[in-house]
Amino acid sequence: MNLTAIGAAIAAFTGIGAGIGIGLATSKATDAVARQPEADGKIMKLLLLGCALAEATAIYGFVIAIMIILFS
Amino acid sequence: MKELLNELLMEDKTLIHVPFGNGFFDIYTSVVVTWIIMAVVIVLVLVLTSNLKVHNISRRQAALESAVIWLRGAVGSMLGEEAAAYTDYIVTVLVFIALSNMVGLFGFTPPTMDLNVTLALSIMSIVLVEAAGIITKGTKGWLKSFAQPMAAIAFMNVLELLIRPLSLCMRLFGNILGATVIMELAKSVVPVLFPAALSLYFDLFDGAIQAYVFCFLTSLYIKEAVE
Repeated sequence: MNLTAIGAAIAAFTGIGAGIGIGLATSKATDAVARQPEADGKIMKLLLLGCALAEATAIYGFVIAIMIILFS
Repeated sequence: MKELLNELLMEDKTLIHVPFGNGFFDIYTSVVVTWIIMAVVIVLVLVLTSNLKVHNISRRQAALESAVIWLRGAVGSMLGEEAAAYTDYIVTVLVFIALSNMVGLFGFTPPTMDLNVTLALSIMSIVLVEAAGIITKGTKGWLKSFAQPMAAIAFMNVLELLIRPLSLCMRLFGNILGATVIMELAKSVVPVLFPAALSLYFDLFDGAIQAYVFCFLTSLYIKEAVE
């Protein structure tokens, strides 16, 4: 059995964390805009920042998965 | 899958061999595409800024002015008043990264898919951040700022010098590479129409968002450094 594929698949699990993080951030941002529609510019900026940081973990997982496939 | 990745990442990226000394001076594809982008931007700038007037402005000048004011305003609000002097650099990087990410539309390989390009961009960012800190606070104040909230976490702050450019560089590279891999897979599964719709998202939307995020994080770091 080829274990490299399993290793790459495990690295792809980082997507779970990123998905949960971005989902939570978006739900809170929707709440915040519903409460204070006038602050949506600031909220949007913070949401983008949070999403970019949360998404970075998934990207690291992706890069590691590629490294596992290529250098094994 | 492995063949695709090999083709995208491991292939010989050299486009031009220049004889140099005993061997060759290799010029990568990403560098040549960067030159093409630079040429396009320079020609655009020269064409758009020729014949500028104070009164009775043309429609071209009006559009140009509103675009420049919009970009400067967007970046300036991210930087804050204290760091407003760095606006033009950030706007330049924003335009360059956005164009590099979207150049896939015209059949080129995006230069940001090359790790060397994103690494260079992120090193430029971190050097600018630290230089901004030194200029505003002086060397002593800059060194003191490492022990800022408390002295115990100084090593974390030193570690951040390495982590920040690494995460900036990997985020941009990984996003563009991931988009390209998905596009190639989609092209091999459904060759007609579907990749065009996907390209709208991955090339235009994702490219613009990633350029924005890169500049947003850089300006956030600068803002933090000059405080």
